[in-house]
Amino acid sequence: MRRFRVISGQEETVLQSGSARFRLTRRAVLAGAIGQTALFAAPALAQQDKPISFGLTPVFLDNDLELLDALQAYLRQATGHPIELVSRRTYQEVTALLVSGQLDAAWICGYPYIQFRDELELVAVPEWNGKPLYQSYIIVGASRQVESVADLKDDIHAFSDPDSNSGYLVTRALLHELGTSPDRFFRKTMFTYGHRNVIRAVGSGLAQSGSVDGYVWEVMRELEPDLVERTNVIRKSEWLGFPPIATSRQYFGKPAIKALKRSFLAMHASEQGRHVLRLLKLTSFADPDEKWFDGIAAKVAALRGEL
Amino acid sequence: MRPLSWFKQLPLTIRVPVIVISLMVAISAAISERVLDRLAKTQESFLEELASSHVDAIAASILPSVLREDSWEIFDTLERMRPSKASILPVETVVATPSNIVLASDQPQRRETLTPLATEFLDQFTMSGFRMDGDKGLAYHTRKIDYQGQTIGTVFSLFDASPLLAERRQVLLALLLTNVALTMVLGLIGFVAVRRMIRPMQVLESHMIDAASGKSTPIGDEEMPRADQEARRMYRAFNAFVRVEQDRKRLSRQLAEEEKLASLGRVASGMAHEINNPLGGLMNAVDTLRRHGDKANVRSQSLDLIQRGLQGIGDVVQAALATYRPERLSRPFSARDIEDLKLLLGPELRQKNQRIETVCADNIAGPEASVPAGPVRQAILNLLLNAAAATPEGGTIRLIAERMDGELRIAVLDEGGGMPAEARTMLTGLDPRGSAPSTKGLGLWVVRQVADELGAAITVTRLIPAGTRIEFRVPLTLEQELTDAA
Repeated sequence: MRRFRVISGQEETVLQSGSARFRLTRRAVLAGAIGQTALFAAPALAQQDKPISFGLTPVFLDNDLELLDALQAYLRQATGHPIELVSRRTYQEVTALLVSGQLDAAWICGYPYIQFRDELELVAVPEWNGKPLYQSYIIVGASRQVESVADLKDDIHAFSDPDSNSGYLVTRALLHELGTSPDRFFRKTMFTYGHRNVIRAVGSGLAQSGSVDGYVWEVMRELEPDLVERTNVIRKSEWLGFPPIATSRQYFGKPAIKALKRSFLAMHASEQGRHVLRLLKLTSFADPDEKWFDGIAAKVAALRGEL
Repeated sequence: MRPLSWFKQLPLTIRVPVIVISLMVAISAAISERVLDRLAKTQESFLEELASSHVDAIAASILPSVLREDSWEIFDTLERMRPSKASILPVETVVATPSNIVLASDQPQRRETLTPLATEFLDQFTMSGFRMDGDKGLAYHTRKIDYQGQTIGTVFSLFDASPLLAERRQVLLALLLTNVALTMVLGLIGFVAVRRMIRPMQVLESHMIDAASGKSTPIGDEEMPRADQEARRMYRAFNAFVRVEQDRKRLSRQLAEEEKLASLGRVASGMAHEINNPLGGLMNAVDTLRRHGDKANVRSQSLDLIQRGLQGIGDVVQAALATYRPERLSRPFSARDIEDLKLLLGPELRQKNQRIETVCADNIAGPEASVPAGPVRQAILNLLLNAAAATPEGGTIRLIAERMDGELRIAVLDEGGGMPAEARTMLTGLDPRGSAPSTKGLGLWVVRQVADELGAAITVTRLIPAGTRIEFRVPLTLEQELTDAA
């Protein structure tokens, strides 16, 4: 069944196909060549020619080619390494690649980070509105009058991804607190593998409610107001650690990762970096503190035995 | 009145274009109907093919999602496969389980996920696949999703067929406008062509109508069509006919004139007798006067004799003049004319030892209304001469004149063996100008001419045991008109 997913996952994973990846890579290489010779004339270290493979999950606005181009160009310029962006449909796939060392680093969700805490190290954490925190929202169709989460009983509920904190774990933990589980509480649940898809599913009426990343919902309210206006937020969770950039423990001390970390933390300092931040609607990237993810860890702990 | 007979009364210049236009309209209607029918079929199969390939593509794409009953992926696929080109416009696509539970619709608001499909919705679709509803402008397509020989779901697709129907309406409009324009142009051409074609016929018709009313004129060279040989032949034939007719009329007039002179001759020889008879006495009286003129009583007797003789001669001459110079006689017909006629007929009667009896009513020359004397005298004289000719030696001719019902009725009765059919037709036949007069019946032909001129009626009655009665009835005219006419 898995091979069919390629077809339906095209939108979320724009860079999935080999040709697309090649195209971007070639463009990056060309840009890099120009940058090295004309702009910097930086010393061409043999080590710097080794590309950094950077994984992306649908935690952020991954359907924006301009953003991907800008991010890739910034990181290539800032690290001095060619950047290979790797996109997969599910969190699970990216996490597996990251944990197994097939990716140098990846932008993952806080929940997989907690799950694989022993094997992963944080590189940087984005700051949204100046804080490395975000919320999970429960949304319903705009025309629906809902008082509380209890009113969502027997809904068709859209989740983002089974490995997403805001798009799954938060709601699951909430239901656990209420003494139930998604399978019992909802008539049916569906995974849309993207926060934007959750908004689409709820906005169109395919699902009656959904769990979505609050950051994505807020940002999309500016970018695609027509789509977001068809949904209403009925519950916001407590503030939780923003999806971080992580690397596998085995790569953590390596120069390429250090360069990558420096590049993220200095993003707000250069015009090219600020352009990327503007596209992401983020303030900056911060030096991570594991405590920011205690909230997520607490939920995982509460659900231990069920998950 | 039946419409067809009404139509037949229209001129040819209108009838033929109307027929041409009607045929054009019928042909164009038939062609348009065929074109639209073909268009409808082509459009339908076009839409069916398009819909079919669209639904096939959807079915192939969503098969794995349907197997997993993954509503989101089905919905996502439907959204992404919604065509943007205008040739096919899906209104709604619904994917359902074999038990018709909605897995996903691209209109989830209308078709809630995981609810059974409404019967009204299902009834719009046929299991055979494609159905088009021209009234609603919608097309319906169903497609089973089969996997390993089992049906795992159904795709229901509704298409907007209104662009096709609009196209059909446009074609219909274009056809209509083209046909109307073509029909009008061809009708106009037909009208002009027919007018040109039948113009010679119209010229002929107007000349024939003139000829029927007695004013026949040949068709002039300026009216002769140059190119149309058929019309030229027809015109020449008509002109020949007109010339023959004109010759015949001239001949008839000539003959009538001759007959007048012939009857005058007959009357003149009689008149010679009338004049000759007293002449002997007059000569004797003159001789007596010469020899015994000195005797007063002889002179007086002789002069009396001479005066009476000259008086008689004068009367005869006067009667002849009145009859043969009728233009001098514009006074009304009176009893005097009857006497004149008797006088004129006298010699003819004496020749055959015949008698005439006249019955003349006192009122025939009323003061207020009458008939003109000249033509009536001419006609009655001819009737009397005819009667004298028909009546055997020693027979009697009768003349009865009376006034009745606003008419002057003069009947002439003979004792002959009856009037030949030819002569009777000449007097009473329908066509006044028919039956050309032969020399023999010319007297009666003149009677008929006079009768037609005066609006008089003639009746011919067979008498028993022998004889014929011919009645000549002239409507009375007011005195004033008579004078004016004169």
